[in-house]
Amino acid sequence: MRIYESGKHLISLFYALMKAVQVYDVNNDVVQKAAKKLVFFIKTILNVYSHIELVRYRDYIFFNKQRLRFEIDGYASLQFVHDKLKKLGVKSLTIMPGIDKEEIILFTSVFKEEEKDKFKKHITSKKFYNVNTEFIVGEEETPDFLQNGQRIKRTYFKALKVTRNLMQNLWANQPVDVKNSKRVVYSLLDSLSQDEFGLLALTTIKNFDEYTYNHSLNVGILSMAIGQRIGLSRKELAELGASGLLHDIGKVRIPKELIYKPGKLSDDEWEILKHHSDFGVKEILKTRGLDEAGLIAMTVSYQHHWNFDGSGYPVHENREKPILFSKIVRIADSYDAMTTPRVYQPIPYLPCLAVRVLWNLKGAFFDPTLAKVFVQLLGLYPIGSCLELSGGEIALVLRQNEGHPASPILKIVLDQEKKNIDGEIIDLLLDPKVEIKRPIYAQKYDINPATYFV
Amino acid sequence: MISDGIKDIILSLMKTVKAIQMYGIAHPSSKNFYDPLYQKFSSFLRKNGVLDFQIEKFSIVYANSIVYEEKEKDISLAFRLFRDGIRNISFNQGLGFDELLLFLETISRVTKEQDIALSLWENNFIHISFYVVEEEGEISYRIPEIKLEKVDYEAKIDELIKREKIDLDERIDINLTAKEFNNLKSEISNVEKMSIIPVAITTLINFLKAEKSQEIIDSLAQLLEQCVDNKDFYNARRIVHTLQQYTDVNPIKNFENETTIIGFSNVINTSSDNVFNEFIAFLRFFSTKSVPYFIRLMTHIKRKDRLSVLRNRIASNTQDDPSPVLNLLDSKDTVIIINVIALIGLLKLKDTATLLQPLMNHTDPFVRVEIVTALEKAEKASIIARFIDDEESFVRIKTLQALTRVKYPTIYYNLLNRIKRKYFRDLEFAEQKEYFNCLVANGGKEVIGHLKKILFKWLLFGRKNYVIMRKLAAISLANITTEEASKILQRGLKKRNKDIKMACTMALRQK
Repeated sequence: MRIYESGKHLISLFYALMKAVQVYDVNNDVVQKAAKKLVFFIKTILNVYSHIELVRYRDYIFFNKQRLRFEIDGYASLQFVHDKLKKLGVKSLTIMPGIDKEEIILFTSVFKEEEKDKFKKHITSKKFYNVNTEFIVGEEETPDFLQNGQRIKRTYFKALKVTRNLMQNLWANQPVDVKNSKRVVYSLLDSLSQDEFGLLALTTIKNFDEYTYNHSLNVGILSMAIGQRIGLSRKELAELGASGLLHDIGKVRIPKELIYKPGKLSDDEWEILKHHSDFGVKEILKTRGLDEAGLIAMTVSYQHHWNFDGSGYPVHENREKPILFSKIVRIADSYDAMTTPRVYQPIPYLPCLAVRVLWNLKGAFFDPTLAKVFVQLLGLYPIGSCLELSGGEIALVLRQNEGHPASPILKIVLDQEKKNIDGEIIDLLLDPKVEIKRPIYAQKYDINPATYFV
Repeated sequence: MISDGIKDIILSLMKTVKAIQMYGIAHPSSKNFYDPLYQKFSSFLRKNGVLDFQIEKFSIVYANSIVYEEKEKDISLAFRLFRDGIRNISFNQGLGFDELLLFLETISRVTKEQDIALSLWENNFIHISFYVVEEEGEISYRIPEIKLEKVDYEAKIDELIKREKIDLDERIDINLTAKEFNNLKSEISNVEKMSIIPVAITTLINFLKAEKSQEIIDSLAQLLEQCVDNKDFYNARRIVHTLQQYTDVNPIKNFENETTIIGFSNVINTSSDNVFNEFIAFLRFFSTKSVPYFIRLMTHIKRKDRLSVLRNRIASNTQDDPSPVLNLLDSKDTVIIINVIALIGLLKLKDTATLLQPLMNHTDPFVRVEIVTALEKAEKASIIARFIDDEESFVRIKTLQALTRVKYPTIYYNLLNRIKRKYFRDLEFAEQKEYFNCLVANGGKEVIGHLKKILFKWLLFGRKNYVIMRKLAAISLANITTEEASKILQRGLKKRNKDIKMACTMALRQK
């Protein structure tokens, strides 16, 4: 079993034991069996590794430095264990080879405790020799193995540069650097699997003047994030990412005056613009050829305006259904397009409104299951959302609380008087007294959310 | 302090990379290096679980100590890895031989265009992980300024909420139902299993419907080759059908050569009936130019039923111009001759008999059998009858069967006389049976009387030898579904002669 699968399996067994001790007495057969299974698996892992380390940081759990991602498989167990560790202020758990059934049952029983202080007291008083528990003291510290903020930033901006070059070269009928465009996809993928929200945060960068490049990159990232959550393999994620990056590539064959035309497009102009989907087919064939990833990207480019109910363009027969990747890109594309200012949409949708629009159009425009996954991923107040709180402060959404879409983690950026401050970070899940009053446009207070993430 | 084991692995790794660069991965000299290297890796990983190297500009570092250093850029492995952004490589327990081999091959490739990080990524290693950073270079971290609009932002939010009918208080359940989860999983599994090619073909075909484009036509032609290589003849057919509408160039042209067609021998013997049937359907696009090669292909086919299907397809292709088939009539290869005769039969040409005349005395009985079959299809009964005295019994049997089906009443008394002769009783039962079948098929009203005579014949001597005759006569009567025939059999049941009685009982039971 690979390290990642081992970690996920360990969490599911730990979850089963936690649930069992909540309901049954420690001597009950159900508890004993669950503990036996867990200990057996721990011993199997310890045949390979000297110890087991579970680290919780932000909304992530790391198993021996490998991040365990929230995916639709094993979602409940990971979310439960994560929430427990978070509520009880646990930073990390280290399990040593001497662990046995009795000790693991006793240790897991302490997790019945709901209060952080009492839990800490129990842990220290009971003296577990083979499980070491570390608690968060003050601000959450980034673990040493996760110093990758700079790396993500570098990856994002490199990807932006490559996307820009790719499209500009196509525009000018110049040869394109396919190798580099492939490379950025994998690089983004590495960043995404390590720190999903770190990369998603950068999609809050919206560029009015370079809409097409920024948008293409953001769609690539958002698509891969959806793909990762539904459990696509790395190879498929790379293909999906490339498809997202290239979905609008056909626009290089649309006159620039039309793309940058301020105001509403006439019906004829609109018809021309619609052709970007099929122009994309040609452009991708030209740049990527007929390799599998190229054919997928070409198909996605062609289908990315097909709706779930069979409508959309280019016109197609109702029985022709879009492929999974096209349905994912359809969602990512619509969300990013809605939330980005453009010539004919100078004031975009607020991210939280865009999410609601997607939700309302599920089943008609969007695949309902994928729409759900998307909301699971971004929450109801996506990263970068600007919110007015019940106390009058203005806060920015920093990241999601997994499984709690309406309770994100915020940073106060303006006080009650609307003055800039380096305010505190509030976790709405842990601090239910703070409430969201309403979403607001960041522009109203001259706030640029992207600056907080770069 | 670095263990000897690590030093040994690194030394062995470098030697292996050099050997692969010099001789290639498949060369035995390289094998001499990578086999022991794999043993060393396995042994280390079994003990330690993981082997983790840091990559620096000119060196490889293990546990803070340099284990490899080479400052000559052209030959330094560390430099090549570093240049492409690789900063760390970890080998994990479970590393397989093939996986290590692929890794070695990837890092040993030295070309200017190669990006080792990209190649490693594309190989999707399971037990080898690596950390890659992007070069700082000329990356700009400029964040675009946000544009401030002179609008009432609050009113804008209200307008959007109203327009889109949004209820911000609506509770949203983000948990997937079991059905949604399973459907999504099965869709993902389809992505893993199914090829994108059929969908891509549909996309290109749809494109062509809107706009005729040479690039798309060329791409479809390339995909056609992929489909044929992958034995996906269903999609190959879709492509050819489309291309024929949009181009004058024959899309099949590239396949109409001997090498390609003989190469289909694995398709005609495939275990999948579906693949075979799609292949046969695909053949309708082939011109008569390829017929000689398909006739040769027939000699490779193993299943008789498939041979028959293939012959039918090729016959259909040559309906308008049978010359490519006829040109092979003088082939020296008997198997080819047999297939040619079969095709002539299927073509139902007017001059079938004339065409086959020179082959009628062919020394190979299988050729003669095929001629009988071909003549039967052409309904040339009088010529078929010439084979009734063939030296091979299976040719004679085939002839009798053919005459049974095509009907040739002229032969009736000839058959009757032969049956009555003594030598008839020395023939094999299968042939005797066909004689009677042929007799019944070609006889008129008189046949019942003749059969009755055979059945009830009074014999003073040789009763035993005659048993078979009575049986065959009785069976033949049973096959004639008239009342008169039936009465004869009933009468036979009452006969004192045991042989007659038994023959009639059996025949009636069979009936």
